[in-house]
Amino acid sequence: MAAVSTAKITVTPSEFHFVKYEAQDIVDVVTELAEMLGVANPIHVIVDESTPLSKLAAEADGTSSDSTLTLRAESGALENTKRFTHFSADAARGSLGRTLLRAKDRLRSDYAEAPDDFDLSLAENAAWDTYCAGRLDRMGVKLNKQRWLYNYRNRFGFSDDGDAAFERLWSADDLSWTELIAGP
Amino acid sequence: MRQFFPVDDLARDERFVQTNMAERMKDARTTVDVDAATAKSRASSNRLTPDRHDASDGARSLMHGIMVGEIQALEGAGRTAHDFEAGDGSGDTIPFELKLDMARQAWDEARHVEISVKLSDWMGTELGQFAENTVLFEAACSNDPILRLAGVNRALEGLAIDVFTQMKEFGNLAGDPYLEFCEDWMLADEVTHVKMGSDWLRKVTENDPDRRKKALEFQQVVDKLFSFGGARGETDESPIGLARRFRELAGFSDDEVDTISMMDQEALDERKEAIRAFHAQADAQPTPA
Amino acid sequence: MGNSETETQTTVRAPFTPWDRRELPGLFDVEETARRVGNYKWTEMKLFEALGGWIATVPELDVKMRFGTHCYHHSWHADIWHKRLPELREMKPERLTAPANEAMERFIEAMTEPEAAELTIEKLVGVYRVLIPRFIGAYTYHRNNASEITDAPTVRFINFILQDEYDDWRDGEMLLQSLITTPDHVRRAAEHQAKLEAIMVEAGGITGPGSIGTSVSTTEGGA
Repeated sequence: MAAVSTAKITVTPSEFHFVKYEAQDIVDVVTELAEMLGVANPIHVIVDESTPLSKLAAEADGTSSDSTLTLRAESGALENTKRFTHFSADAARGSLGRTLLRAKDRLRSDYAEAPDDFDLSLAENAAWDTYCAGRLDRMGVKLNKQRWLYNYRNRFGFSDDGDAAFERLWSADDLSWTELIAGP
Repeated sequence: MRQFFPVDDLARDERFVQTNMAERMKDARTTVDVDAATAKSRASSNRLTPDRHDASDGARSLMHGIMVGEIQALEGAGRTAHDFEAGDGSGDTIPFELKLDMARQAWDEARHVEISVKLSDWMGTELGQFAENTVLFEAACSNDPILRLAGVNRALEGLAIDVFTQMKEFGNLAGDPYLEFCEDWMLADEVTHVKMGSDWLRKVTENDPDRRKKALEFQQVVDKLFSFGGARGETDESPIGLARRFRELAGFSDDEVDTISMMDQEALDERKEAIRAFHAQADAQPTPA
Repeated sequence: MGNSETETQTTVRAPFTPWDRRELPGLFDVEETARRVGNYKWTEMKLFEALGGWIATVPELDVKMRFGTHCYHHSWHADIWHKRLPELREMKPERLTAPANEAMERFIEAMTEPEAAELTIEKLVGVYRVLIPRFIGAYTYHRNNASEITDAPTVRFINFILQDEYDDWRDGEMLLQSLITTPDHVRRAAEHQAKLEAIMVEAGGITGPGSIGTSVSTTEGGA
């Protein structure tokens, strides 16, 4: 299937059949995010439109400034939950923003040990999501902190220690992979 | 005020967006394995448990569904208390005591809305964040009070038993102290409501076997609808299980639960078939250059 | 045991303790009490039916939930009066389950008329600024003038019910205060209240004229 490209950002598929998404809308969101996060690498977004689930994954095919970053998203991650099958720029900003931050983290040498996204444990995923969501929130992308706290609690337990660890991740800006997965 | 209230007129504030079953079923995406060759990334189980990668978002979405379902159940119980004159149960009348039970149910459902709103907040969900499917009110507000009992108290509240059991288990496994506590309380109320419906249905149709048969047939139609295309069922393909033990407590016989289970499977199979057809249609479309 | 002082002490006491000031006389005989109770039951029924029906019509979630809660309160009151009627020699409670008069019936029709989603103020005004204050008046008058000995059951029931009425009235009044925020809202509330109040005055209250007794005029006959 052909891909739409503007500058360094491409989206697959270029035309959607299961959902009412436009590839250009996704390009616009990612362009805005890349500028905001200072990412200059080529970015390829792959959307699995056959599932309403919302799993996300980030890959980087190297650690240089021209390495391609691949962001994978199941269609639910970009969806307007009030109007099923319709695109939501806000949802996309939150989902792809977190994924792009992950991809950017993967360019760092101290993330070399991080497993591929599909091989991450549920707890590692939750910790990284918290770290990304917190940074994105401070950059002005509208997020519900309580949602991420709940997600974190489901993986690390409903306890004061867990909540304190969440706060540390949420407010952090420069963590290594080892620091990220240190846990409560 | 009109005697009967149409689903399209249900009053909501501007945060809520409503949808219906027909719209929902147009969505050809699926989490079930309709075709093993293209579904390799699907999870082996769709059951909503904390070990799913999207567990907390799935629980949030289901909790919002519960909240709007409770709003509609509240509205449905209130309407039944309003719409029918007190009488001997024949025609458009219902016994006075049944009206009282419906008013009591309205209070219970109002508390369930309060609980659901607070739980949604605890889980990080905003009111109206997800589309509200009005199928519950639609299917459960027949103009015949006996069909309404079958639809509301047996089918809808029966579904609530299944959903609350699932969420209670989720809360227990995740160690969420509020979720398990609240679901347990709501589950107790729902068992009462189903029992209330079972008892009244039996009592009011005691000397009218045709009316009872019609009511039970209607309940089956609604039960199948409430399977949401197999979202509820006994296999792991369904996110929500069928809570046999609590259904039995509420007065469902083993045969009735078996029938619901069978209809859930039928609904799932029909849904898969519809999705396969949609996939075939999508594949047949020319790919843009 | 073994204490001569205790052994000689009498158990004879007055049947009424010094602080028990209840009196035998009451204003209402059995028949009049049954009539009033029938009016209460009919009106409580109409009220819980209206609240139940309105739940689906109000967009405000807080009001929706309050209506659900109050719907049950008033159904419980109707049930209490339904069960009290046979104890008052009315073996067919439906016979006395009736409005006090035609105007009272018209009042309920007018009160339940607003249905549209934008008429929450009117719905609340009818219940919480007109009907429930009238309930509080009628119940208070009945409680204060019933024989506390011969009709203790009715007095006890009224006490329970009055507590609900006060609580529900406060809920409804505060909802109204939070919804009435513009001069137009004030006008709407006042106009609807005046319209309903006029019919209620015509009815004479929930049990008809004499719902809260006969008014005492001081302009004739002097002080």
